[in-house]
Amino acid sequence: MTGVVTGGWEFVWAAYGITFAVLTAYGIRLASHLRRSREHEDR
Amino acid sequence: MENLNAPPFSAKAVRRAWIALGAGLVLLAIGTYQGLFVAPPEHYMGEVQRIMYVHVPTAWNAMLALTFAFFCALAFLWKNDWKWDARLEAAIEMGVLLSLLLCIQGAIWAKPTWGVWWDWDPRLTTTAVMLVAFVGILALRHFVEDPRRRAVWSSVATVVAYASVPIVYFSVQWWNSLHQLQSSPQTVDGAMVTPLRINSFGMLFLLFAFTSLRSQIARRRLAAELAPPPAPTATLATGGER
Repeated sequence: MTGVVTGGWEFVWAAYGITFAVLTAYGIRLASHLRRSREHEDR
Repeated sequence: MENLNAPPFSAKAVRRAWIALGAGLVLLAIGTYQGLFVAPPEHYMGEVQRIMYVHVPTAWNAMLALTFAFFCALAFLWKNDWKWDARLEAAIEMGVLLSLLLCIQGAIWAKPTWGVWWDWDPRLTTTAVMLVAFVGILALRHFVEDPRRRAVWSSVATVVAYASVPIVYFSVQWWNSLHQLQSSPQTVDGAMVTPLRINSFGMLFLLFAFTSLRSQIARRRLAAELAPPPAPTATLATGGER
């Protein structure tokens, strides 16, 4: 036990991967809602 | 005094949001590259410390989104202008999304450094309480159909729930916490400050873009809800002629 964390890249990738996947999904959801509401207004 | 008109949809705001989104993505790409491949590993936490470059910007912007929600709630209660209700809805949703991401990132960082995914320590517990409080306000907005009641109730609830935000921020100073104290450029190595700053601004641009777009969606829904009911048609008259 040295108190030093070794390795751990899998945790780093998981944190970044989940963050950007969630933000991308939210952005796509917003864009599609915006387009739908615009189409609804144009009708 | 009440502005009964729904806030108009702004194409200009949408254009500005797309530009901010582009800038945010570029900054996040640069900051993330620097954080993952250029910045040195930390002495004790090694590579795992690189989570900081996404975790801290998420935390700052989650608190910023909820602070903006607090001001939107006050502005709506003060001015009765629906544009503040649309902004409130957008800001709370962004605050909840970023707080949720914050908890997930924190759990992923906690496992290799603390040995557990979660601990009921002051910072984590107060963050969980803050998240649950604002999820509750989103649920309230979802279930109340009357726009006027929805806006007033959720504004009042936001002002009350906002008390949890400074408690989260100062929890590491007020109580003994496993979570480290707030860092500043003076306490962090220069090579680590650069990606932290770039990602913080990237996340800020993303927050601005998403809040603007979400607010425009809320404006359109409000316009439909607040529109006067259609005038009676001639159906009855034509029915009578039959």
